[in-house]
Amino acid sequence: MKKYNFLIAVLLLLATVITTSSCKKSVLDETLTTARGMSYYATDEGITSLATGAYFSTFAAPFNGEWYYSNTNYGTDEFHVGGDNSNAQNNAYSNGLASIITPINSNTILANAQWDNLYLSIGYANLIIQNATASASASNAIKKTALGEGYFFRAYNYLRLVSQYGAVPLKTKVSTGIELEFTRAAPADVYAKIISDFDSAYNLLSNGTGPAHITKDAAAHYLAKAYLSRASEINDAWNATTKAADLAKIAPLCDAVIASHPLAGNFASLWAYTAPDGANERLPEIILSAQFTADASTNGTNTQHLYYASRYDDLPFMQRDLTSDRPFSRLGTNYYMYRVYDQVNDSRFWKSFKTKNLVNKPSAPYALGDVGIMYVINQPGDTRFPSYKLLNTVPYGPTGRPIANVYVAYPNGNINDGALFADVRFPSLSKFIDASRVGGMNDTRGLRDITLARSAETYLIAAEAKIRLAAAGTGSYADALPYINAVRARAQYQSGENRAAYADGGAAPSSNGQAVALNSYMPENSYYESNNIPVSTTATSLAVASVATLPASDEGVISKLGYTTPYDRMLCFLLNERARELAGEFKRWEDLSRTKTLVARAKAYNPDAAPNIKDIHMLRPIPQTFLDGIQSGGTALSGTQKQTMQNPGY
Amino acid sequence: MKRMTIAVRPVLSILLLLSPLFYLHAQQDMAIAGRSKKSVDPFVRSAPDNRQAVNARASFAVPVTGKITDENGKGLPGVTVSIKGNNAKAVITNETGDFSISVPTGKETLVLTYIGYVAQEISLNNRTSVTIKMLQDSKALDDVVVIGYATVKKKDVTGSVAGISQQDIKSRPVTTALEAMQGKVAGVDITSNERPGTLGDITIRGVRSLTASNSPLFVVDGIPLSTGTIDNINPNDIEAIDILKDASATAIYGSRGANGVVIVTTKSGKNGKTTISVNSAVTFQKVHDYNVGMNSADYINYRRWAYYYSNPASFPRGDQPTLANDKFIFLASADPSAFANINKGWASGTWDGSKVATTDWKGMVTQTGITTDNQLSVSGGSDKIKAYGSFGYLNNKGTSLGQSFTRYTGKSSIDIAATKWFSMGSNISVSYGVQEFGQSGAGSSAVSASSSIYESARALFSYAVPYDSAGNRILYPGGDAAFKTIVNEQKYTKDQRTNLRAFGSFYTQLDFGAIAPVLKGLKYRLNFGPDFSVYRDGVFVDGQSVIGAGINRASLTKGQTFSYTLDNLLYYDKTIKQHNFGVTLLQSFTKFSADSSSIAALGIPFSSQLWNALTTTNITPANLTGYSSNLTQYQLLSYMARVNYGFADKYLLTASIRQDGSSVLGTGHKNAIFPSAAIAWRMNHENFLKNTPWVNDLKLRFGVGVTGNSAIAPYSTQGAVTPLFYPFINTTSAGSLPSGTLANQELEWERTTQYNLGIDFSLFNRRVSGAFDVYTSKTPNLLLLRAIPTVTGYTNIYANIGATANKGFDFSLTTINVKAAGFTWATTTNISYQKEHIVSLSNGKQNDINNLWFIDQRIGIIYGYKSAGIWHTSDSATYKQFNANGNVFSAGNVRPVDLNGDKKIDPNNDRTIIGNTRPNYIVGMTNTVSYKGFDLSIFLYGRLKYWYSTGGESLGGRPTQRVVNYYTELNQNSEYQKPIYTAGSGDPYSVILGYQNASFIKIRNISLSYNLPQASLKRTGLSTLRVYAQVANPGMLFSKIKQLDMDLVNAVSNRGVTLGINAAF
Repeated sequence: MKKYNFLIAVLLLLATVITTSSCKKSVLDETLTTARGMSYYATDEGITSLATGAYFSTFAAPFNGEWYYSNTNYGTDEFHVGGDNSNAQNNAYSNGLASIITPINSNTILANAQWDNLYLSIGYANLIIQNATASASASNAIKKTALGEGYFFRAYNYLRLVSQYGAVPLKTKVSTGIELEFTRAAPADVYAKIISDFDSAYNLLSNGTGPAHITKDAAAHYLAKAYLSRASEINDAWNATTKAADLAKIAPLCDAVIASHPLAGNFASLWAYTAPDGANERLPEIILSAQFTADASTNGTNTQHLYYASRYDDLPFMQRDLTSDRPFSRLGTNYYMYRVYDQVNDSRFWKSFKTKNLVNKPSAPYALGDVGIMYVINQPGDTRFPSYKLLNTVPYGPTGRPIANVYVAYPNGNINDGALFADVRFPSLSKFIDASRVGGMNDTRGLRDITLARSAETYLIAAEAKIRLAAAGTGSYADALPYINAVRARAQYQSGENRAAYADGGAAPSSNGQAVALNSYMPENSYYESNNIPVSTTATSLAVASVATLPASDEGVISKLGYTTPYDRMLCFLLNERARELAGEFKRWEDLSRTKTLVARAKAYNPDAAPNIKDIHMLRPIPQTFLDGIQSGGTALSGTQKQTMQNPGY
Repeated sequence: MKRMTIAVRPVLSILLLLSPLFYLHAQQDMAIAGRSKKSVDPFVRSAPDNRQAVNARASFAVPVTGKITDENGKGLPGVTVSIKGNNAKAVITNETGDFSISVPTGKETLVLTYIGYVAQEISLNNRTSVTIKMLQDSKALDDVVVIGYATVKKKDVTGSVAGISQQDIKSRPVTTALEAMQGKVAGVDITSNERPGTLGDITIRGVRSLTASNSPLFVVDGIPLSTGTIDNINPNDIEAIDILKDASATAIYGSRGANGVVIVTTKSGKNGKTTISVNSAVTFQKVHDYNVGMNSADYINYRRWAYYYSNPASFPRGDQPTLANDKFIFLASADPSAFANINKGWASGTWDGSKVATTDWKGMVTQTGITTDNQLSVSGGSDKIKAYGSFGYLNNKGTSLGQSFTRYTGKSSIDIAATKWFSMGSNISVSYGVQEFGQSGAGSSAVSASSSIYESARALFSYAVPYDSAGNRILYPGGDAAFKTIVNEQKYTKDQRTNLRAFGSFYTQLDFGAIAPVLKGLKYRLNFGPDFSVYRDGVFVDGQSVIGAGINRASLTKGQTFSYTLDNLLYYDKTIKQHNFGVTLLQSFTKFSADSSSIAALGIPFSSQLWNALTTTNITPANLTGYSSNLTQYQLLSYMARVNYGFADKYLLTASIRQDGSSVLGTGHKNAIFPSAAIAWRMNHENFLKNTPWVNDLKLRFGVGVTGNSAIAPYSTQGAVTPLFYPFINTTSAGSLPSGTLANQELEWERTTQYNLGIDFSLFNRRVSGAFDVYTSKTPNLLLLRAIPTVTGYTNIYANIGATANKGFDFSLTTINVKAAGFTWATTTNISYQKEHIVSLSNGKQNDINNLWFIDQRIGIIYGYKSAGIWHTSDSATYKQFNANGNVFSAGNVRPVDLNGDKKIDPNNDRTIIGNTRPNYIVGMTNTVSYKGFDLSIFLYGRLKYWYSTGGESLGGRPTQRVVNYYTELNQNSEYQKPIYTAGSGDPYSVILGYQNASFIKIRNISLSYNLPQASLKRTGLSTLRVYAQVANPGMLFSKIKQLDMDLVNAVSNRGVTLGINAAF
């Protein structure tokens, strides 16, 4: 009997186990305890959180990697490939610049990288706008700030899209399921949306929180920029009806921005980076910047410091260090940059480019403190230097000791450009050099902010509007001069200024990875060696008094490009001024493309692009992933349909 | 196991006579007997012994007649009847089983042998007429197969099930059971990995799912694993592995059965003599590299040409070198030591490349890999208690410096039959592994980051030297900052991964029939399977390392997973006359939980700290680069019912239905039903075949089943947002972004319906046996992650979209080619053919180029430009036409095919499908020759008819380069294009020259073993002693891609020799 009792007990137990586990249907419920779901964005806290995410996606994320500079600085008059070809197709307009880019190494950007980033950010903006509009909250944080930011983000990304690709799909609603039917909206429609969105942002946002946050001034700056773009040559086929009104609105917007964002007194202080979030990143001149900081928990990684640095670590008596950065050597300086400045009176070249390094791998006859590298950016016809490369011969004035490596732009009385191309040597654009990186000399994670908009550009936007108005018969070309001269005045040498003084982000070395004694940073430029003039501390002037007499360096470009009409001359002058002021600041390609000066300038000044560039290159190829992924009327596009949807020539 | 089963054989045979199905389930109580091809084959065991031959001239005066019958009393034709000690006079029984033979005295002993039956010896004792009943060899009957929640005899299997035995596992030197399965089972494809402690991949009958997992379900001792594979199990502890291939078999595992099921049965104690076994092996391995790098002279020449083609105006031709140009292109100023080596070639004033020394960088990072594998096990038992225990120690020193794997395994298994009706058992295996991963590329921010120390060494220039004239280590040999030295690298990186895993399987079983006769055949079983593992991954990279960036960094990741399965099972078996019924009911619940945490930092104060001192006092906040913790959980709730029905041992039916509910799917879509049915017909039991002597076994099977796949990550339907921090100046603010994957609440099970028709055969006295299965399957609601246009704001979405179909066959054949006295040659061949195709996608029959999915095409394909070789100078008129349309071609460039003939290469019109990347055929063949205790076995393995993209040769002139036939002015009929120096790469179409036929057949293993004869063992106390030597990876029979071992899809494989012994007391 005993065993029957046991049996019954077991059966009961079994029944309990089965029933208890089968009754609990809820055991299959899935609870995500470690993350929030999409419903979070219906809350006000979620909307604010999403807006912060969109700051990262729209402003910071593009500076981690190579697609931004490849699409904005390569293939222009300012820069060409500086030695590493990872993304050379964008500079050379070669066969490889196509709707599919064949990766040649892991650094090659894919054709869809920029497109995807911009559209994903537009998706976030749409979500902010949808949810902030739907929110029952009455708080300004949602209804004004977040909503205004949402409109700004959307317009900002569409402005980049239309500038790069021309007609693009216009997506202003949030997707909740698979959507495959897309067509390209005409640029007119895209611009209408951009302007309406910037306008909404302008009306919703307030000032006082820049440059980290989007302000009313930032919206005004970009609204002015959008008007200017719509009124530019690339849109001449259809912008006749909006052009006059657009141009008229620009200067008033700019004037207001300029009033509250005075230029920094010294051009160098914009780039005098000494520590993350330091003084140079909070100058009143800066309207909007992409934010990066030392806090490792922040997601942003600014890698732009890598790409402009030229190779120095492979030269005799030199090795890699933190202060001269890890030289990815992607962007080599064109001779255009050596000629477009008034090198004696304009301080900007000497404050933008690194021309000297100290020896940091000393061995006889060199010791620490000796000069390791010097770039002599002289003028054509200079006969002082027998060769473009002079090792251990040129003495350094203050010590009389030889300089290990000297590179000369125009050696031996040469009047032709290109001597430095032989060894792919060039002075590095130093605006982004970052020695505060915590991971040592090879760390790619840069901590510097990137300025997206500063009032020097606002001046030049206004100036360009004045030039265009003058061309249309409203006002005169001279109306542009006060705006341009304001920027030029800041670039002059001040009385008492040490013209050989130099500063870049190399002055901010973190203590990681290498002894400070082995740093090659040298707070001095080759102004005097290059210009071959006696030391002077008197003030210089860059003021342009008359549109008839432009500076010699500009007349040189004008004559090389064959411009004769007053409008062409003034636009050329303005674009030169933009190059001098904004070199490398991720704007050049779009400026040249919208003004349809890209082909002429690249042919004249970019040795790699010259043989290949054609008019079709003023627009980028639509990524093949988009053409391959969409459908029309429920069917995938045929080869012909894709070809029709593609920009001509690709 | 041969030793184990002898004792139980008679018992089983009697049981079998009473009730075959009782035996079936009795198998659950006891340890599953293993199978050995050798022991199955009675030929080998009962071969006549020539050494006992007697005087052949004796007179044979006494006639003896007899009849030999099977168990049922039916006459057995074809039985060999011989006189013990004199097999010259053997006779064979006729169709009725009768025989007559003459013997010398009438006191002799007759020996009766017949394949599939137990050999008998009958002492005549002056009888002249005998009737003898032969019993079927219980070995053959023992041949059981685990089919999921039950074992059945092989003869009763209705689905497509294949197994490998312990003998197969032992036949090759392997550190994991997965490796042992390679090439042994038709329809199973297993790739290898040579890094100690790292496993390859396994797929069964190809792939069905595009983006959900394609790896099979592993079931160990009845418990389906929720995570991981069987790498933690010592192969010596495995009794058998059964692989369920077709859906009628795998549907029993419902939602997890879509990719096949691998059932592992570990050893447990057996009744009878207590046995102690020792298995020991030592393996010596060397790296073999299929990718031969250029030596100094070749490389120097190559780079010169690359510079020349990059700018013919500036650089001299490769065959017209100048010292000045060499100084420039070989970075003389950056690494004078390397250039000093090149300068040797200029010593005479004219170039002589043979004078330049070649540095063997790879030799500096390789060593002879030594693996020792030792296992000690003990096994024994009585009627009441059976036990097995083992301890194993594996020490694998890799062929690359810094790589090793050490594993300790322990296992114990106890089965207690407490009463007639109550039994209980436990099976616990624990393993602890320490893998020294060596240098990896993970997380590196360095310039040169390759995946292993060997690949880092490969990247170094042959003309560069490791030390300068002062004896200092040169950091960048050759002067290019992208290629850092590997000298002493093993001291600078450490990636140590430890894994402790404890896996248990516990059961309690009640046999109600033993309590109340009315309940005869009813049993209840409770299975509980906890699986617990803890891992730790510590990484330390010194600033000096190849993957270091000048500053020390370290990370520590720890995690644990715990899962359990709780099964309630009811069995009921009933036999009514010739009808056998069996019913299985199951309720099963699985819970999985994994959590992990990690910390990563820079600036470790000193290197001996490794990852062990990441404290606030050592690491500043700015150097703390990452920290995380995470939790993942899911649940699975299932019900299953299965019916087995057999009639007259001829007709067999299995039908099952399972309902699975999974927490990872969307609400309202969590549950799904998975039915299956299979029938089998044992044709050899029909009258029309019964008396066909050459047919020993013939079974026709047909099955259909539905299986599922929910193998998507938990929380995929939830649209989790990704948090982030963004700094406003220096105020770090919390933000978030939606996932790039658009959430889909409608996700449901992916269900595959498969039909399988199979035949099992054993013919000609079992000298030819095998199985042939054809199958076809359809997956109508494919679960996939598909890319969507980013214009939507999202990059992809998980969705049930589209349909795939799959068809194929599996064929395995074992033939005993030669069977002579003491000599056997047997061949086992496995061939599987498999071809899936996409039937439809989201919008019906629309190709999806972004995802590389094309209607009516294979799942893995290469899509791109077709190669027409390279352009030659004679083509200049043609390529100029292309250049007029925007292409840039010149002689020596890669020539893509212009499909639409518009003299322009463009992606819209000229891309096409190049080929499939999944092999059509997978073949394995083992030839075994046995002679007097010696076994020689050769194992071949291959994959045929598929394509692989090697990536082409960029020939950019900067990195090191394998030896290829490249274009120059002097070599215009080359295989590859002309080199063009670039810091990035050259020809944009170079990749299309890398699309290659990947077929190969590899000699995987050659093994020679010797079983010491019993006679010589007697004195030693050993019951068996086997010594063996094996050669692994001796080479390729053929391989279309010469620079890779396509078995590993790697240029490098290990070649080695293993010496080992198996001994039992």
